[in-house]
Amino acid sequence: MLVVGGGHAGVEAAAAAARLGLPVLLATHSLDSIGQMSCNPAIGGIGKSHLVREIDALDGVMAKAADRAGIHYRILNTRKGPAVRATRAQADRSLYRTAVRQLVEAEPLIELVQDEVEELVVKNNKVAGARLKAAGLVSCAALVLTAGTFLAGVMHTGKSSAAGGRAGHAPATRLAACLRELNLPVGRLKTGTPPRLDGRSIDYGRLESQPTARPLPSFCLLGPPPRRPRQVACHLTATNERSHAIVRRHLKDSPVYSGAISGAGPRYCPSIEDKVTRFADRDAHRIFLEPEGLHTAEVYPNGISTALPAAAQEALVRSIAGLEEARLTRLGYAVEYDYYDPRALDPSLAVRQIEGLYFAGQINGTTGYEEAAAQGLVAGANAALRLAGREAWVPGRAESYLGVLVDDLTAQGVTEPYRMFTSRAEHRLSLREDNADLRLTAQGAELGLVSEERRDAALRHQEEVEAEMARLAKVTVPAAGSRPPQPALKWLARPQARYGRLPGRAKLSRRAAAEIEARCKYGPLIERQRHSLQRERELEDLILPADLDFAGVHGLSNEAREKLRLHRPATLGQAARLSGLTPAAVSLLRLHLDRRRRA
Amino acid sequence: MTARGANSGELIAAAATAQGKGAIGIVRLSGTGAAALAKRLLDRPPRPGRVNRRRFLAADGGVIDEGLVLAFRAPRSFTGEDMLELHGHGGTAVLQALLARCIELGARLAEPGEFALRAFGNGKIDLTQAEGIADLINATSARAARLAAASMGGALRAALDGLGAELLAARGQLEAAIDFGEDVDFGGKHQRRLRADLKRLSARAAALLAECRRAAACQEGASIALVGRPNAGKSSLLNALAGRDAAIVDGRPGTTRDVVTATVEIDGVAATVYDTAGLRDGGSKVEREGMRRARRRQEEADVVVLVQDVRDERPAAAAHDVLALNKIDLLPQRPRAGGKKVPVAAKTGAGLPALRRALARALGRGGGDEPAFLARARHVRALEEAAAALAAAAAGGELVAAAEELRRAQERLGTITGAVGVEDLLGEIFARFCIGK
Repeated sequence: MLVVGGGHAGVEAAAAAARLGLPVLLATHSLDSIGQMSCNPAIGGIGKSHLVREIDALDGVMAKAADRAGIHYRILNTRKGPAVRATRAQADRSLYRTAVRQLVEAEPLIELVQDEVEELVVKNNKVAGARLKAAGLVSCAALVLTAGTFLAGVMHTGKSSAAGGRAGHAPATRLAACLRELNLPVGRLKTGTPPRLDGRSIDYGRLESQPTARPLPSFCLLGPPPRRPRQVACHLTATNERSHAIVRRHLKDSPVYSGAISGAGPRYCPSIEDKVTRFADRDAHRIFLEPEGLHTAEVYPNGISTALPAAAQEALVRSIAGLEEARLTRLGYAVEYDYYDPRALDPSLAVRQIEGLYFAGQINGTTGYEEAAAQGLVAGANAALRLAGREAWVPGRAESYLGVLVDDLTAQGVTEPYRMFTSRAEHRLSLREDNADLRLTAQGAELGLVSEERRDAALRHQEEVEAEMARLAKVTVPAAGSRPPQPALKWLARPQARYGRLPGRAKLSRRAAAEIEARCKYGPLIERQRHSLQRERELEDLILPADLDFAGVHGLSNEAREKLRLHRPATLGQAARLSGLTPAAVSLLRLHLDRRRRA
Repeated sequence: MTARGANSGELIAAAATAQGKGAIGIVRLSGTGAAALAKRLLDRPPRPGRVNRRRFLAADGGVIDEGLVLAFRAPRSFTGEDMLELHGHGGTAVLQALLARCIELGARLAEPGEFALRAFGNGKIDLTQAEGIADLINATSARAARLAAASMGGALRAALDGLGAELLAARGQLEAAIDFGEDVDFGGKHQRRLRADLKRLSARAAALLAECRRAAACQEGASIALVGRPNAGKSSLLNALAGRDAAIVDGRPGTTRDVVTATVEIDGVAATVYDTAGLRDGGSKVEREGMRRARRRQEEADVVVLVQDVRDERPAAAAHDVLALNKIDLLPQRPRAGGKKVPVAAKTGAGLPALRRALARALGRGGGDEPAFLARARHVRALEEAAAALAAAAAGGELVAAAEELRRAQERLGTITGAVGVEDLLGEIFARFCIGK
């Protein structure tokens, strides 16, 4: 098995396959940039930390590496409900890279090679190998391609542009050309980064400081590493009217607005050019000054991603409070790259028309390290399962954000870089970042993806929770005055209730207590939701027969027919999630299936 | 392919008027190739948007009939496809010949409801409008027909769309507060505004629900239960309202054992009136079963009328919406009406118009204007659930729980007209918020 690319997707793909017992060759154009964070130095965030914990529940790399490199943590959404609570960490870039490299090298089945993959060898719609620049032909039966933004990547700053996937790194142009020959549906997307600043030139005295969270959180569900890096503070500042005026004055020089870039950018992480134009009524946009690491003075000003010319970038930065004297160490840029329509993949992330080929990460139109890593894990595990002659593993939407991610991508495709949000998960209430192991580890153990240690830890946690739930079901809590005592489970269901204040509580681990609180609080809502999602489940079970002629479905618009013919969804549930297929069309299909069955 | 062709299905044809002799018979066609068919069927092609007088020609060039032709170009037609209407003479043979000629020219016979189905599939009408069409065709009272026509025209859809848009906006705010908690300022001011929005939304849903309930009563027919002590004259009153002898009347108490019904029109609404067994202690086994049924009927009815002998001075025998004081013909002087009290004499018909007015008022529960559309029970049920979810969201608690209630409300509303996907929701978020990361 061959993994092409050493970013977050490539690393998880190789590690997952190795955990399943398969020897893997990981080829990257630069061994030194394995585990490189090419954008902001942060892991996690809302929706994203859920993915990190799920990767961890399956014994992946990302959570462990983040804990070894985390120099500042925050817990987000603390008061909006446990389901959407999230963890975010600033990571020291070089510590993170080192941690990833160590974790990969600790896996004896992974072989690393620095080489450029120039060509995929496909015979009879089947992957046969890849041609590497130095090593020549390498044959393989399964290949996971994680080329990130390197496929025909072009970087823009002001009017100047250069070929590359990341500052200082050449693009994979030959591979891109070869892929284009495979006739897979391809498109262009863009993303960008802000300029970096010299921290010694920032006037922190005037800025709001955010200390790291205490007690210090960790991503890995088995607990933090024995030694944690020193913790530092982040600082907050904001743009102002003067900054916006500078951006507006130079808009014509920005490749995003001059027409030099055609790819769609993310709405979620817009450039400052986008923010100023689209949200013209806002007089300030927040900026987080994130330290790049413990041993560097460089700072990442999160919130002003830009592709303006150099002089404008400097003027913009210096218009901001605390940054009046700031020196730019690197310029911001926009990068435009090829992505492949993920609707050409099946939910195991295998390319439908080429046997043994898997795509994961930004090549599928996503953005974010966590999204990339999650796909890497799914693709790598599935490639290995396939080679072992085992059935594909497709995580479900009801049990994981991994499932939401692969289903959204392969059923709906993307129109802009795809980022995870909690609102994408209809089963959000049950998918908390702190119950990832209860949702996934047993499944991972069955697949052979997780260590015994992890399997046992998850089992112990589950037993602790269930034993206490069983005990609580029989216990009451005395009420004030003459009112009758209340069942403990009901007492815990109150919005403000904390297990730690329960009279007659047991001595539980913090995680078990949190799990019990969430179960009591959300239980009735989840139960009702399960009921109301009945229709979705029914649609999921309605198989669209392979011989179904969509022309015979009465009332269907031709547009809907074309979509169905093109994507051939396997179930009505998949059809319902095809973008552009109206609910009316789904109803008509269902009607047709019912009639057909009766006939 | 032109944009016009993009939404067309295969060409279908059907007789649009009832079989039998009539002044005019209409054949209707919809789908790809309607214009080409017209060219071959008619002596000259029709002009869209005009009333065209044309000859309908057979394969050999002979004239099948002569009449008027309307041509519609997609998407500006009922189905959203190219359409033709051929207005010929209404004889069975001539209409069949015209239809057969259309089939010969490549059309196929339409399935029942296929035109409306295409309109639905092409987004020209939603479910409530499709239902409005069906209700209009089946309407038996002038008022029901008027309201069905309004539903068909999209009155209910517009009301639901308005509510849905406001709901989507609130969801957008709420989801942004959750998913962009880090970047978007969501302090006390924003939270208060969101709570106020949710309260307003909840009130709006409750108002629409009330209107839907009134509208559904017009459609489904209201139910009125006559209850009271034995021998108060319930059965006589039923017969008087129905204008016929629906129930057996006898001077002995306990004559009515089972529930007897009659359909009565009250202010343009068909209402079912239930005569029930008199309520008293004791009685035979059969009579007691009758009383059990009476109580159930009383619980389920839209309006409960307590019938009491005007001379009976005991307190009211049951909870009620209208109190009919019967047998005023036995008193020297007619007692005064007031509140829920209506004096009547089932035997002579005195006071019946006043009773009908009181029933009409009671059926329009909670007052309010005449509904602007016709609604079905399924609309009411879905709206009830949506309104309950919105009330729960407005009541406070965790944002993520409120978000779940809104999702459910939207899903319930979606079942009435057609659902929204999560991408729409994200679109809503970004129309309103600046997102930092």
